[in-house]
Amino acid sequence: MLLQHVINGLVQGSLYALVAVGLTLVYGVLEVVNFAHGELYMLAAFALYLLFHLAHLPYPLAILLTVSVLMGVGYVLARAAVVPHLQRPFEVTVLATLAASIILQNGARFVFTATPRKVHPPWEDVVLQLLDLTLTGQRLLVLGTAIVAFAALHLFIHRSRAGKAMRACAQNKAACRMVGISTDRVACHTLALGAGLCGLAGAMVAPLYDIFPGIGTSVVFKSFAVVIMGGLGNVPGAMAAGAILGVGESLAGGYISNTAKDALSFSLMILILLLRPEGLFGRRVRV
Amino acid sequence: MRRGLHPKPGVLVATAVLLALLMPLLARSNYLLHILVMTEIYVILALSLNLVMGYAGLLSLAPPAFFGIGAYASALLSLRVGLSFWVGLASAGAAGLLFAVAIGVPSLRLSRHSFVIVTLSFTLLAQIVATNWTELTRGAMGLPGIPAVELGGVKITSKTGWYYLMLVLVIVTVAGFKALVGSRLGRAIVMVREDEVLAQAVGLNTASVKLWAFAISGLLGGIAGSCYAHYISFIDPSLFDFYYTENLLIMVILGGAGTVWGVVAGAVIFNAIPELLRIHPELRTLLYGLVLLGAISVAPGGLAGWIKAWRESKRPSVEAEGA
Repeated sequence: MLLQHVINGLVQGSLYALVAVGLTLVYGVLEVVNFAHGELYMLAAFALYLLFHLAHLPYPLAILLTVSVLMGVGYVLARAAVVPHLQRPFEVTVLATLAASIILQNGARFVFTATPRKVHPPWEDVVLQLLDLTLTGQRLLVLGTAIVAFAALHLFIHRSRAGKAMRACAQNKAACRMVGISTDRVACHTLALGAGLCGLAGAMVAPLYDIFPGIGTSVVFKSFAVVIMGGLGNVPGAMAAGAILGVGESLAGGYISNTAKDALSFSLMILILLLRPEGLFGRRVRV
Repeated sequence: MRRGLHPKPGVLVATAVLLALLMPLLARSNYLLHILVMTEIYVILALSLNLVMGYAGLLSLAPPAFFGIGAYASALLSLRVGLSFWVGLASAGAAGLLFAVAIGVPSLRLSRHSFVIVTLSFTLLAQIVATNWTELTRGAMGLPGIPAVELGGVKITSKTGWYYLMLVLVIVTVAGFKALVGSRLGRAIVMVREDEVLAQAVGLNTASVKLWAFAISGLLGGIAGSCYAHYISFIDPSLFDFYYTENLLIMVILGGAGTVWGVVAGAVIFNAIPELLRIHPELRTLLYGLVLLGAISVAPGGLAGWIKAWRESKRPSVEAEGA
């Protein structure tokens, strides 16, 4: 039973980590908290609903298209709400992304209505039985994809030109501009990357639950806790904290109560802020 | 700067108060009176956000949390314990203050970013708790039948009665707010906003100054929530909706964060206009999002900023003054 809870928690944790990594990456590079991040997850879920459920595209293709669409959305979001305000006080970007979040969420409510929708993920029926462990194909896919995505992200940030520009931007923006790196372009790339990760999460995890315009809120609520726990701007920290929160919630839900599960993320966040304000992993490691 | 203007501030304030006193005579329908009472509640809430955001420079997304906590505290005390509105009002304010301190101590330590995140998460958590702790709050069914206010043996049930009761509270709040921002603490709060390092260098305990600002804003939020609960007589977890945060942000930013009269005007204008235009609620939230995005791009100083710029353009030789 314990092992089952841990496995379930890890699946949930990979969702939190996928969403939170995008959030913390944007913060690490730009010092911008993207409050519209949850809405990106919601849009991904709806994109998958349209592509897979209504347009009947094959599931892997639908996932790929969802991720690409979301990267486009991230780019537009960066151009509309983040890049124009990069040089202004931090409240401005907070408010701009909050406004974008409201517009996206209520726009979705207007277009799709509040009726919950259901997508039947193809691999949810594949049940793997290992001793007394039960795992569906879909959940295994989530876990596997998250690991692959994180490995790819690591390579991208450390090896590619665009990734190196992001890391440079995280360290010193003025120096970046001096050597000819456009910080505006880096901002767009970073948001597109974060949105793409969110798209991946939305395309794989959303089918496990109902899809409606409000789903972004609860996901971003958990992601904020993960980001704070891992240390704002700390990418590996967010991955680890996501897994920790997922497993912790699964155990709290299994052994205590569902309310304890809901309150856990916030309590952990406050606890970390009190004891280790720079996050679980101490010294600030950026991106 | 004020000497050169035709209407003196005292005259302006007196006119505003007189106009406010006569309002129920002008607003003949109950519907208009209801909007007026809601506007008064919003004035208190907008000031509570203004103190942290406009004066201390800390963006707080928690006003609906304190509002809701105040409303629930006051409603539960009168429904379950049978205490009067006045005790409820005081307890609601105290609850708002205590929660603000509890949230403020951990979240104000690191960066202003984590403060924003924690305040938003706190509001979301408050809504989750209000929805799921059904034994206490009856969850989504809400708490109906919150008793009316009794004042000297008379029950206040009419909208006109509420209007005047709230008007007294608003005047006290605005006067207290003016006194606060003019006080030593008020100046310290502004200094922390302008330059935290400098404030520390001259010996200010900036952590405690920020905590004070946040705590007082929690107090005001709790008081407004208590009034709302007893006025509407029904509350449910939708009190914690993000919609309210958005409304308040628009009022404070477009009114002019960091000013008293600008924010009061913002609360009046942005509560009255959408009600009177009768926009579809869902479309309204969407529209407000666009207004918010436009406002911060085009008019970061808000109404008060415009008026100040206009005054200064007429009298270029005079230096600007604060608050």
